Amino acid sequence: MSSADWIAISPLIAVAAAAVVVMMLAAFWRRHAIVAAASMIGLAVALFCVLPARSAAPRMVTGLLAIDEFGLFYVGLLLKGSLAVAAVSYGYLRARGRDAEEYYALLLTATLGCVTLAVSAHFVSFFLGLEILSVSLYALIAYTRERARSIEAGIKYLVLAAGSAAFLLFGMALLYAEYGAMGFAPLAKALKASGGANVYMLAGMALILVGAGFKLAAAPFHLWTPDVYEGAPAPATAFVAGVSKVAMAALLLRFLTQLGATDSRPILIALSALAVASMFAGNLLALLQRNVKRILAYSSIAHIGYLLVAFIAAGPMGAEAATFYLAAYMITTLIAFGVVAALSPRDRDADAMEDYQGLFWRRPWMGGAFVAALLSLAGIPLTAGFIGKYFVVASGIGSALWALVLILALNSAIGLFYYLRSVVAVYARPGEEAKAADRAPGFSLAGGVALAVLGFSLILLGVYPAPLLRLIQTAIASL
Amino acid sequence: MQTVWPLFVYLAAAAAVPAGMIMVSFVLGARHSDRATGEPYESGIVSTGSARLRFPIHFYLVAMFFVIFDLEAVFLFAWAVAVRELGWAGFAEALVFIGVLVAALAYLWRLGALDWGPKPFARLSHSRHKDS
Amino acid sequence: MILTLLILILLIGGAAAWAAERKSPLWSRGIALGAVTLDLLLVVGQWAALRHAPEFLKPGAWLVETRAEWIPQFGVSFHLGMDGLSLLLLALTFFLGALSVACSWSEIQKRVGFFHFNLLWVLAGIAGVFTALDLFLFYFFWEMMLIPMYLLIVIWGHERRVYSAIKFFLFTQASGLLMLIAILTLQFLHFKQTGARSFDYSDLLNVAMTPRAAMLLMLVPEASLRFAPVAMALGVVGILYGAILAFAQTDLKRLVAYTSVSHLGFVVLGIYSWNAWAMQGAVMQMICHGLSTGALFVLVGLLYERIHTRDLRRMGGLWSAAPRIGAMAMFFAMASLGLPGLGNFIAEFLVLLGAYHVSVWMTALAGIGLVGATIYSLSLMQRAFHGPAEEAWSFADLSAREWAVLGAMAAALVWLGLYPQPVLHAAAPIVESLEKIGSALPGFFMR
Repeated sequence: MSSADWIAISPLIAVAAAAVVVMMLAAFWRRHAIVAAASMIGLAVALFCVLPARSAAPRMVTGLLAIDEFGLFYVGLLLKGSLAVAAVSYGYLRARGRDAEEYYALLLTATLGCVTLAVSAHFVSFFLGLEILSVSLYALIAYTRERARSIEAGIKYLVLAAGSAAFLLFGMALLYAEYGAMGFAPLAKALKASGGANVYMLAGMALILVGAGFKLAAAPFHLWTPDVYEGAPAPATAFVAGVSKVAMAALLLRFLTQLGATDSRPILIALSALAVASMFAGNLLALLQRNVKRILAYSSIAHIGYLLVAFIAAGPMGAEAATFYLAAYMITTLIAFGVVAALSPRDRDADAMEDYQGLFWRRPWMGGAFVAALLSLAGIPLTAGFIGKYFVVASGIGSALWALVLILALNSAIGLFYYLRSVVAVYARPGEEAKAADRAPGFSLAGGVALAVLGFSLILLGVYPAPLLRLIQTAIASL
Repeated sequence: MQTVWPLFVYLAAAAAVPAGMIMVSFVLGARHSDRATGEPYESGIVSTGSARLRFPIHFYLVAMFFVIFDLEAVFLFAWAVAVRELGWAGFAEALVFIGVLVAALAYLWRLGALDWGPKPFARLSHSRHKDS
Repeated sequence: MILTLLILILLIGGAAAWAAERKSPLWSRGIALGAVTLDLLLVVGQWAALRHAPEFLKPGAWLVETRAEWIPQFGVSFHLGMDGLSLLLLALTFFLGALSVACSWSEIQKRVGFFHFNLLWVLAGIAGVFTALDLFLFYFFWEMMLIPMYLLIVIWGHERRVYSAIKFFLFTQASGLLMLIAILTLQFLHFKQTGARSFDYSDLLNVAMTPRAAMLLMLVPEASLRFAPVAMALGVVGILYGAILAFAQTDLKRLVAYTSVSHLGFVVLGIYSWNAWAMQGAVMQMICHGLSTGALFVLVGLLYERIHTRDLRRMGGLWSAAPRIGAMAMFFAMASLGLPGLGNFIAEFLVLLGAYHVSVWMTALAGIGLVGATIYSLSLMQRAFHGPAEEAWSFADLSAREWAVLGAMAAALVWLGLYPQPVLHAAAPIVESLEKIGSALPGFFMR
């Protein structure tokens, strides 16, 4: 490996080193504030390393990792998301008041898995990244181990993630057996040489889609989502929903684009079925919920459905739409769960609708951020979600996917109903119990700053998205 | 299809053997229903208590540590085979690998996971008081 | 530049009004009133300054135009423009906006700052909708105004406010999404034909379309024209249906709401009759309806504030308790039924005159609507203000502030009724250009 290679993968190395350093701090200097600060500094250093890495790009490192504009864009995005999660976690864990230090080491390894996924261009690194991510997430989800729900969620995620990994491996094995290649680029070449789809290719792709569908929580592989979102501690939920899904989607985007898989009709039909099922399942089931974390879980399922429309639209426009949508979605989700985390008391998460009763009058800024996140999820102007949804619809129309676009519009209308119900609660007159519990135990300065930055970006992207769009265009052009 | 038919024959035979054994014992076997027939050990001492014992967590810990640190050897063997071809770069990478494992070991040691005395995890519970 | 300023004044004024609540609610009311009045003065000033400009009478020209790059990747620009029609509508908006700040002066007592923030942002959204020349921008403003409107209903509404707010929002949003799809399709067709991405109205106007696609989209005049007979029939149905339902209501506010449906039927009928008289009438009707119906809603609010009911069955004999409110209600009920001398008469007369040239039948049916308007207006007066008093009402009559609000609206209606020339003058160029398009496509025009 040349020195340029090292520079190219320096963000990954920085995250890995930060994980080890944080683990050592947890052993030898067990102070919550110090460990949290170290992990945030580590993530910031990794983020800074993206700059030199960009100058070394594009470059294949060892045939496993493709360091290009696309990968580095997502690496930057994921690191920022992870940084926000770490900041939000600090107040939450301080309120919980015990054993906070290991959390950050797990968060860093999970981030390492995410950034590996974003730059991997080979089945081996794909699987490696996925497993680093999953194994860290099992522990993160079950981290509040004094709560039965949390442990249940961890075990559910363990069983289903392991199952989906098996599907994924089987799919990879089938493709390898047929084409004798595991890198995405050689695979694409072999695919082209063999002249179109055959049974092995379709079966392999279907199994890989099943595995990825589990991770993305696309219906009908979404069954774990509400339980895990509800049981996991709120900052971990933020990571699962906001960061890990973005990483998986980035990998899928690269994989499908490089293989030209969207030219194949059966794959398009499979993706369309996933999209339609996700949109309807997510929105209709969310209507029945009263628990805020479960509402957000079902809404995230629906959002994966919208995202898949951009995947199906394909082409540069579809990929750009998907990337913008993911960025907007990540910011929005992190704000929503960040507010949940900040409001959570020591012994439970603030996930009942009553916790949000009159929030806007008690805490205008936090209430405002929560409403902005809900409106962004609903795709209302002035928020990033609007531009994202607009872009997805535009890419769908650009590829003449009329049925999908109409279903998307219908589902947006359904979705509005439960978002608005939550908005009503935030603006309602505060109830008596809510007044009594008028505090945000999980709030910290770091978390507040993170929420403020996220909220600002949410509005900025909604009003002036042009710079980010330019960045995304260069990223997609490198794909 | 031409070449795989022996496989199906073999499968059928494999299924037939246990099926036949169960059938034969079902037909020929004696039947009785006494007081102890339903017990796990019909001829032995009647069991008492629950089978769900609570093992000390150390049992699992030791097993896991063994697996983790034993696997290290597998990677090192693979490296040892190619040590000359990999040169100093390979040596450095193996060193990083071992270094991470040593860090993990140090972490476990400081946490008290290696203390098998009556009060394990002293440090972890100690820190609980300090932070809250 | 002036257009951007109009919107910015409202946005900043809203935020300032919210922030000023800390100091005193009076401050936020004052700031809100000041911001809207400033906008009104600016628009009226523009009107006075541009009245004699040559562009004022030239069809298809913009009096004022602003354009800046916004999202070049999508071909979206921040493009605002104002012609005579949008000038009129802006003036109406700010006039009513200032009056609604004034008439909520004592009615809104809680969360005063946030109320005015929402009110001003709604006005900013409406001003944007009236001036946007980029369809993306149009949609952006359209959606942006819904949220504060929704909050106004949810927080300061009366009974069943959550239900009605969510219903309102779902209906407008769902139809808005369909509009977005239509806009995007138009944009996409334009992209396919020219290779350039643009949302600009003037660009998209020239997109060549198959008749079927055009029917589906209807954003452009030619396509609208094909739809004219259906739309005229819908307008007539709206007039009659609104009048009948208005007559059947027992809730005063619902009654006024249905009269509004009836009046807007005239606007639809006028536009799709597609000739100068009818379209001038439609413009007049938009303005006069805004004033007369707005005033009736203000009166409903005044009464509710005093007697805490809107149920007509419990009212009756209110005139003796509050003769000034009664007189004002009489005046606006007369305006609503189209009494000559008031603006509504001019509007409805022009619409019927224009529609007569297109279809005698529809005009006759719409004329029945005028009879309906007489019936519901007089029955409203009869049931609420005359007749035996159900309960012994005693409450304060109009205050000076309320006098000023209603008096301003009444004066505007009288002015429009006696001297409508300025409005007709300002709307003339846009009407002329639309008529030209209509005569270019005689084949679709129903005689």
